[in-house]
Amino acid sequence: MGGFFSLFSGLFGSREMRILILGLDGAGKTTILYRLQVGEVVTTIPTIGFNVETVTFKNLKFQVWDLGGQTSIRPYWRCYYSNTDAIIYVVDSSDRDRMGISKSELVAMLEEEELKKAILVVFANKQDMDQAMTPTEVATALGLPALKDRKWQIFKISALKGQGLEEAMDWLADSLKNRQ
Amino acid sequence: MFAKLKKKIAEEAATAPRSGVRIPRTISKESITSVGADSGDDFASDGSSSRDDLPAQLLRRNDQIRKLEAKLSDYAEQLRIMQKTKDKLEIALEKHQDLSIKKLQDQNESHQVSRAKLAEGMALALEKKDQEWMEKTAAMEKEKAALSARLEEMMEQSLALFQKRDDLDELEGFQQQELAKVKHMLLKKEEQLSQREQELQQKEAEVQSAKRGLSEARGKLRSLQQQHEESSRLNSEFEIEREELLLLREEADKRVSELEGQCRELQSVIQQVSEDFQKSQSMVSTLERSLQELQTEHDALKLQQQKAAVMEEDKERLLADLQKKVASLERRLQGNLSQDEHLQELLQEKSNLEQSLEETRAELLAVRTNHADTVGSLEAQVSKMSCTVTELQTLLRHKDDSSRAYRERTDTQIANLEQQIVERNERLKSAEEQIAEKQQHVDKLAGELSAEKAFFDQQVCLLKQQSEEKARQLEESIASLQTERETLQDRLEDLNKQADEANSNLRQQTEELEHCRAELVSRQTVSTEIAKALEDTRRQKEELQTQVGQLTSSLQTSQQELSTVTETLTMREENIKNLQDEVQRRQESLVQLQEELEQQRAQLEQMEQDKDSQLSSLREELLNQTQQLDSCQARISYLEVEVETLTEQLNTPVVCEEDQNGSVTVDDLDHLQRVNKELEQQLSDKNRTIKQLQQRLAELKRTLQKELKLKPEPEAEGKEKLPESKAEKQERLFPDPPPASSPSPPTSNTTVTNTSDLNDSREINFEYLKHVVLKFMSSREAEAFQLIRAVSVLLNFTREEEDMLKQTLEYKMSWFGSKPSPKGTIRPSVSGASPHWS
Repeated sequence: MGGFFSLFSGLFGSREMRILILGLDGAGKTTILYRLQVGEVVTTIPTIGFNVETVTFKNLKFQVWDLGGQTSIRPYWRCYYSNTDAIIYVVDSSDRDRMGISKSELVAMLEEEELKKAILVVFANKQDMDQAMTPTEVATALGLPALKDRKWQIFKISALKGQGLEEAMDWLADSLKNRQ
Repeated sequence: MFAKLKKKIAEEAATAPRSGVRIPRTISKESITSVGADSGDDFASDGSSSRDDLPAQLLRRNDQIRKLEAKLSDYAEQLRIMQKTKDKLEIALEKHQDLSIKKLQDQNESHQVSRAKLAEGMALALEKKDQEWMEKTAAMEKEKAALSARLEEMMEQSLALFQKRDDLDELEGFQQQELAKVKHMLLKKEEQLSQREQELQQKEAEVQSAKRGLSEARGKLRSLQQQHEESSRLNSEFEIEREELLLLREEADKRVSELEGQCRELQSVIQQVSEDFQKSQSMVSTLERSLQELQTEHDALKLQQQKAAVMEEDKERLLADLQKKVASLERRLQGNLSQDEHLQELLQEKSNLEQSLEETRAELLAVRTNHADTVGSLEAQVSKMSCTVTELQTLLRHKDDSSRAYRERTDTQIANLEQQIVERNERLKSAEEQIAEKQQHVDKLAGELSAEKAFFDQQVCLLKQQSEEKARQLEESIASLQTERETLQDRLEDLNKQADEANSNLRQQTEELEHCRAELVSRQTVSTEIAKALEDTRRQKEELQTQVGQLTSSLQTSQQELSTVTETLTMREENIKNLQDEVQRRQESLVQLQEELEQQRAQLEQMEQDKDSQLSSLREELLNQTQQLDSCQARISYLEVEVETLTEQLNTPVVCEEDQNGSVTVDDLDHLQRVNKELEQQLSDKNRTIKQLQQRLAELKRTLQKELKLKPEPEAEGKEKLPESKAEKQERLFPDPPPASSPSPPTSNTTVTNTSDLNDSREINFEYLKHVVLKFMSSREAEAFQLIRAVSVLLNFTREEEDMLKQTLEYKMSWFGSKPSPKGTIRPSVSGASPHWS
């Protein structure tokens, strides 16, 4: 059956876009995934492993992989890098202390050969918090302006309130469409 | 109150370090579920202190040291500030006391003076007021008289008003009557209008009927025109027919001429035929003549034949004589032998004679045949001639018949043609007559049509004129009606205006009335106000008297307040003393903490030296921590500023006290309490920051432990040093800790934590593996394909095994293709991997 569907999808040219949601533990990756899929806030536990869901947005099908961001399982991210169309890198804007770690993880990830062509979308999450950093602050903290040969964009987002997700996905969908 | 505060501070001083140890556990438990071993480790170190982790302690110590440093500096500064404030407060208090005493005395004096003055002033004022009041009453009476006069006037005015009102009522009545009349007229006019409108409608209906008549007439005209067209069409048809007939006539003429020509031809033919006949007759006569000739010839020939036959008979008699001579001569010849010659000659003569006889005979035969032939041919000729004659006779007869028949036919034809011509002529005449009739009819019809047209035109003109006249009349009537209407409207407007004017008059009058009433009321109110003012003045007098009483009572209360202020001052002194004690205590604790700090710092430096190589990755975090520390220092400085402001606030009430009297001291007290609360809050804030720092230290510790896992040897020295310091600390914090537990466990503890950490990481890995494998098995092929890499990394698959997995999945996903054969490499790798996870 799977072969049948893949054949059909190949025929009609509507390949599923493969998107990875990455970020440190507790950044809100799983919440964002289910906010995108179900449109609701679900209660999550720390992801040991990953979640994969198919999200349809603007007639585009995304196969969204939310990989657990805990320190011990971060090294396994690279197992999922092949054939990735876009990376959603989620940052906890209120966690100023771990920005450095977040940056080093991001830099290490972007150096991977398999992700050279992937579009980078940074979600400055938890904007509903009082002490949240602004997107520009987050961008500078992550060293995004220094990025070259990479299509990237940062969005301020609150997964709990559902703010900013729509625009971000709009941008992502458009840029994926344009890239094809 | 101060005792409570003191207690609180003392409690906090006692609990702060404790909580500093305890809190990280809870935090680690809550926040980091992944690192179970850490939390366990923390729990163990906290609960019994038997199994302690050296690096953890070290880090915690480090943190505590920093915290304590901060605290120490904070406390020192606070102490300094407190001392300053205390000095200031003492000075202020003394000053305040002096000032208050002086003030009290001054106030007493001033009060007495003021009291005497007030009494005098009051008496004077009272007298003055009495006089004023008297004057006022006189004025009021005057006013009252004036008012009564006015009242009378007003009464008159009111009477006049009543009269006016009556007039107004009458006017209103008139107006209503007029209005009724106007309305009546209006109604009439409206009726007229409606009548006119009806008339108009009727006229319009007439116009419409006239229009209808017109349209009918037009219809008739149209029909007539159609008839005319038809008749003209007929006329044209007739003309065409006439032309056709003329053509026919010409044709007939032509045919007559042709027929005459034919007749002539026929006559000529007949003449020819007769000529032929004559010729043939002549020929017949000639032929008869030739026949007669031939017959004569034939007769002649017959005569000749008869002559020939006679001749032949002569010849034959001659011949017979000759033959008798021959026979006699031959008998002579036979008796004379010597006569041979003579005989011969006789024979010769005889043959000659025979020959000539035969010749003559042949000649005779030929003549006879010739003759017969000529006779036969002549006879044939005669027969032929007779045949031809008979034929010619029959031919002639035939010709005669045919000519006769032809002649008859031509005669009949000619007669027919003549008859036809006559008929045609007759028809032509009739047609011409018909045409003439038709033309006459057409002319008549045209005349009728023109007459009718003229008539209808006239009628139409008339109708138009009539309708126009009617329309004009109607328009005129409409215009007149409109003008009437306008006039009516004008009149209505006039009437309305009149009504409005009357109304406005009425209104003005009512307004005047109201005005008068208002005036009356205002007059009355003025009089009442005057009475009120009188009462007010009386009341003011009483109030003044009560004020005097109040002032005396306030004097007494101020004196009482003074006494309370002095009491509060003494209270403050006590408070200050308490604060000083506290400050001293804090200084002591600070000193202790500094000592501790130095010790821990020394240890930490050692540790840091040991781990510098490994800590390169952690330096950023440490920098963050230092930043945090900076922020804490900034907060401390902020606190300093706050304390300064506090002192200023403390100072300002003192200044205020000089100006105001009793209430300020209470405010001051409240202020102090507030300051105390703020200090408490700050303390709690600091505690919180300390907790946060401890959390961060715990994190650092965790990472350090991971590093330690890799290289546990170099820290052995540092670890041994740490528990001692921790033991000291514990002794200080808890006066009776178990003495034996502290030195022995650390080595074992470290090993335990290491293994547990390893187990934990394995556990997490196992959990991760479990999850990935579960997903790999349950998810769609497309997703599973992406998971092959993760599974193979987690299970340490070789490249071949990974490729095989990929191939099998591709086989599953594709429709066709052969299943890849399993290779022998699977088994050993599985057996190799299994002990790793068991």
